[in-house]
Amino acid sequence: MIEVKNLVRTFNSGDRTIKPVNDVSFVLEQGTLASIVGKSGSGKSTLLSLLGALDKPTSGDVVVNGVSLAGMPDGKLTEYRRRDIGFVFQQFNLIPNLSAMDNVMLPMEFAGVRRTERRQRATDLLEQVQLDPEKQVRRINRLSGGEQQRVAIARALANEPKLILADEPTGNLDEQTGDHIIELLSSLRRDHNTTILVVTHDKALANKTDRRFRLQQGRLTEEPARALV
Amino acid sequence: MSVLARSVGNAFRNKVRTAAVVALLAVAIGLALAMLVANQAVGAKVQELNASVGTVLTVNPAGGQGGPAGQNATTLTTSLTAAIDAGTLGGRNQPANGTTGTTTAQPVRSLPITATGIGGEVDTIGKSLTITEGTGLGDYTAESANALLGTTLAEKNNLTIGSTFTINEQTFTVAGLFDSGPTFGNNALYLTLPTAQTVAELPGELSSMIVTVDGMENLEAAKAALESALGTDKADVTQGQNLESAVSSLGSVKNISFIAFVAALGTAGLIILLIMVMLVRERRREIGVLKAIGAPNRTIGLQFVLEALVLVAMGSAVGAAVASFASGGIASALISTNTTTTAATTTGRGAAMAGAAGGAGMPGGGAGFPGGAGLPSGNPLGGASQLLTSVTASASPGVIAAGIAAVFGVAIIGALVPALLTARIRPIEVLRGE
Ligand SMILES: Nc1ncnc2c1ncn2[C@@H]1O[C@H](COP(=O)(O)OP(=O)(O)OP(=O)(O)O)[C@@H](O)[C@H]1O
Ligand SMILES: [Mg+2]
Repeated sequence: MIEVKNLVRTFNSGDRTIKPVNDVSFVLEQGTLASIVGKSGSGKSTLLSLLGALDKPTSGDVVVNGVSLAGMPDGKLTEYRRRDIGFVFQQFNLIPNLSAMDNVMLPMEFAGVRRTERRQRATDLLEQVQLDPEKQVRRINRLSGGEQQRVAIARALANEPKLILADEPTGNLDEQTGDHIIELLSSLRRDHNTTILVVTHDKALANKTDRRFRLQQGRLTEEPARALV
Repeated sequence: MSVLARSVGNAFRNKVRTAAVVALLAVAIGLALAMLVANQAVGAKVQELNASVGTVLTVNPAGGQGGPAGQNATTLTTSLTAAIDAGTLGGRNQPANGTTGTTTAQPVRSLPITATGIGGEVDTIGKSLTITEGTGLGDYTAESANALLGTTLAEKNNLTIGSTFTINEQTFTVAGLFDSGPTFGNNALYLTLPTAQTVAELPGELSSMIVTVDGMENLEAAKAALESALGTDKADVTQGQNLESAVSSLGSVKNISFIAFVAALGTAGLIILLIMVMLVRERRREIGVLKAIGAPNRTIGLQFVLEALVLVAMGSAVGAAVASFASGGIASALISTNTTTTAATTTGRGAAMAGAAGGAGMPGGGAGFPGGAGLPSGNPLGGASQLLTSVTASASPGVIAAGIAAVFGVAIIGALVPALLTARIRPIEVLRGE
């Protein structure tokens, strides 16, 4: 379960202050598949980075399974990111000079998973995101955008996180591959009771989620069912 | 993939830059190692000079240096044949001169055999005798019918331990053989001091006295004490080998090379520091990614330190190769620029000594020539040229290893700063644009 309490993030750009996250509160039960939609620049990525402990809020708190992130020391936040969170970045953020396989194994290495197990699990995950075996050992900067996106998803799933935060996970994929990714995320929720929060512009994807949020100028509102059709 | 494998991979990410950095490091490390080698070699030489020949004072009767003043060596007859055929020596066949004034010579055209009475188991310049066979003469202050023969002389006369020969019809037994290095020096024999005085019919007389001072720093005081005790009108006290200026300029070579070693080491550290700071800045976003996916600070820091060490290892390999070729040249260059004055002094002194030796009819040869400590003393540069050749030879693997260890130490310090900088990078850097 994740509880977001009066979350605020402000940036000072020049002489004015912008608030991409302005007093956001919501609660997600464990095993929920939720989506956030909103215009470009509305603060979706900023909100996700606060939930994933990449950034610290100006005020407010995020409580994960009863544990507050506010005031948690940096070492513990690192452990939280490593163990509990799977983050799919909008820009993928893979390590360019490593192979797809090595990228997926990296979070497992930090978590102390044994080498043979790391390799086995990375192979399974890359298979699940439908990356050809021949491309699994290729360097990231020799893969297409969509292929990189799928590697990024596989990496997010590496340590079997309780919460997956995915920023536009299907943005670079064709409809069929996109559907497959949605299917994969749904199966994670079903089989592992994973909580999944996706940021998307894709209405079809949003409509398949249990709960839908809309972010407008830093304010979060929940959409009733089927309102996006 | 391990941290180490990633570090190695990162070190080769930009091959052109890596090559440039390795080249820079190689120059700095090569210079550092060459300086260290020069430093160690010169240091060892200085110690050797101080310990062996730098502390000897020679006392001669006043009026002549290098030979018994106004007193020619006594010529005696012996059953021995000289080991050196003077035919090849041209005009050098002259009456011999023994330091104690006891000389046996054969009236044939061969180099005279020098016989010297000694008061201790030392040669004519105060160096310990190297007995290669048999024993010494025991008490050198008592008369004895035993003698020590130079190896070549014994060989020439088919003499071994226990064999006998005569000097002025007096029979002596070969107790031991010595090797003084140069062939001239081995065309000689030693008796105990009282025996020689008796044979030469010069009882109680000394032609020279070798005083070994316990340290370079006491040399002046000892010389002054000897002069006042014996009187400058009666005795000349000369420094057996005036290498003091050579030693002090070698000392400055040692200091210069050490400073250069430290400076080159510091440069290598600085190169690492700057390149790593640059790499950390360049990979800010990537470091953010590693943090965002849960890499602990120490893992990231370690990755950068290891990457620096990979660069240093390559720099050291190339640098050590460079140093092994360059250190000889560097050491020689350092020494020759710093010992020009010394060389000049040595030459002047060498000439003076050669003159003295010639005047006294000395047959040349290392044993009679305090200037060279067993060197062929015909070389006017004496000790200095010996330094040049032996200095370069003494680069030991241990010194190189110690130097490389120091390089790695400095590299770790240099890499630690940027590695610690990575700890300050926040994971949110991943969301910043490229
Ligand atoms: N570090 C920062 N400093 C200043 N302004 C920032 C910073 N990060 C984000 N912003 C601003 O905050 C606002 C929200 O950014 P955010 O990336 O959250 O938008 P988004 O909803 O993810 O947009 P998109 O759909 O285009 O990805 C934007 O106006 C952005 O310019
Ligand atoms: Mg965004």
